[in-house]
Amino acid sequence: MSELQYPADLRYTEDHEWVADKGEGVVRVGITAYAQDALGDVVYVSLPSVGDSVTAGESCGEVESTKSVSDLYSPLDGEVVAVNDTLDAEPGTVNSDPYGSGWMFEIRPSDASAIDGLMDADAYTGSLD
Amino acid sequence: MSEAKLSPLDERHRALGAKMADFGGWAMPIEYPGGGVVREHTAVRERVGIFDVSHLGKATVQGEGALDFVNACLSNDLRKIEPGKAQYTMCCDESGGVVDDLIVYVKAEDDLFLIPNAANTAEVVRRLAEAAPEGINVRDAHEEFAVLAVQGPKSDEVVSALGLPVDHDYMSFDEAEWEGRPLTVCRTGYTGERGYELVSRWEDALALWDALLEAAAPYEGLPCGLGARDTLRTEMGYPLHGQDLSLEITPVQARAGWAVGWKKDSFWGKDALAKEKAEGPRRISRGLKLTGRGIPRAHCVVRSTEGEELGEVTSGTFSPTLGQGVALALMLPDVAEGDTVAVDVRGRLLEAVVTKPPFVEVQTRSN
Repeated sequence: MSELQYPADLRYTEDHEWVADKGEGVVRVGITAYAQDALGDVVYVSLPSVGDSVTAGESCGEVESTKSVSDLYSPLDGEVVAVNDTLDAEPGTVNSDPYGSGWMFEIRPSDASAIDGLMDADAYTGSLD
Repeated sequence: MSEAKLSPLDERHRALGAKMADFGGWAMPIEYPGGGVVREHTAVRERVGIFDVSHLGKATVQGEGALDFVNACLSNDLRKIEPGKAQYTMCCDESGGVVDDLIVYVKAEDDLFLIPNAANTAEVVRRLAEAAPEGINVRDAHEEFAVLAVQGPKSDEVVSALGLPVDHDYMSFDEAEWEGRPLTVCRTGYTGERGYELVSRWEDALALWDALLEAAAPYEGLPCGLGARDTLRTEMGYPLHGQDLSLEITPVQARAGWAVGWKKDSFWGKDALAKEKAEGPRRISRGLKLTGRGIPRAHCVVRSTEGEELGEVTSGTFSPTLGQGVALALMLPDVAEGDTVAVDVRGRLLEAVVTKPPFVEVQTRSN
């Protein structure tokens, strides 16, 4: 749908996740407007634990809606340094605010420059057509 | 796959921006924007929702002796009801497997109206037509009638706003007229709420849909898709053919024996079902309620706390009313209500308690 937004200051993956550079070697990860719209009402999010080692492209959690379930992937190699615990009680924020309070986890990438290898907003929206 | 058939309301669904999906060969709305399954589900539980279920089959069986003929084929006993009433029943094969579950509306001894599932209508009609004696005519009327469901505590207000009759007994129906158009108002549904299913002529469906949505607006009623219909029926433990009932899952296993007329002389599958009932089924459908987070889905394996395989989930979903996962599962017969079991959800073992459905209180007969 036309009203779905893809902020230009974020990076994106083929798995429909966004990655934001938080500075100080930390990136924040969530799912895109397209992903939350395709899933429908998100009712349960299973996140990795702080301290977990994650590998780019490998599953590290799940996002479940009333009608389907989708794996959550780590966009980069690194270590999980924070997770959004508020999603336990309010999973619907993934739908209402996917780039804000619906964020999922933060990692400290082992290669700080790896984020530059991800798609920018134009490349991602191009991939949706 | 052949092209999906279209509801008479297809243009309305697309104009509303509904997400469409295939249901038994029909392109039907799953959910509408601004609603979503949870919001639509809640509208039905608390206020009112309008569903297009025109994909459901329609068939007629007419001619002298039509009621006795159908009664000798389908599982439930039509002699328990009178004209003007509807009955839930099953069309079984000789092995006791379920070809389809359906509602039979008795208009008269010689005039029955059937609403089977979309994907099974042709097969039910074929079996009945093949068995029908001379003088009894079985006809597939799938695209002659539309079905709109008005479900929820405010459904009487919405239906009566159109000048239609309301407040008849649960599982009964009235022939009525709306602005000169013939209509059947049935006190039936698949949500567990008080509600109605309106059977109109195919060509009258657009005007009826618009009028119902307008009448529902003051009560904050919503158009509801088949996604919400599925979460609503699962909360009630109502079986869905193809998942909880099938050619492999008999009514005895599905604990739908209440819809079998055991005392009738004959019906399709009687011998096999009576034998299975007497010997005890090898597996039985029971409800599961998850104690923690996570959602069971169809085909998830159910295990005992010791790891023994007990069976599998046939329908599972997130219950918007309870805020937790619920399921129907076919399990070994010695599993009992109150038992704690584990559901294998993609490799994670989630604790569940065997719970008798409905998971949410039934309101179909409430005022």
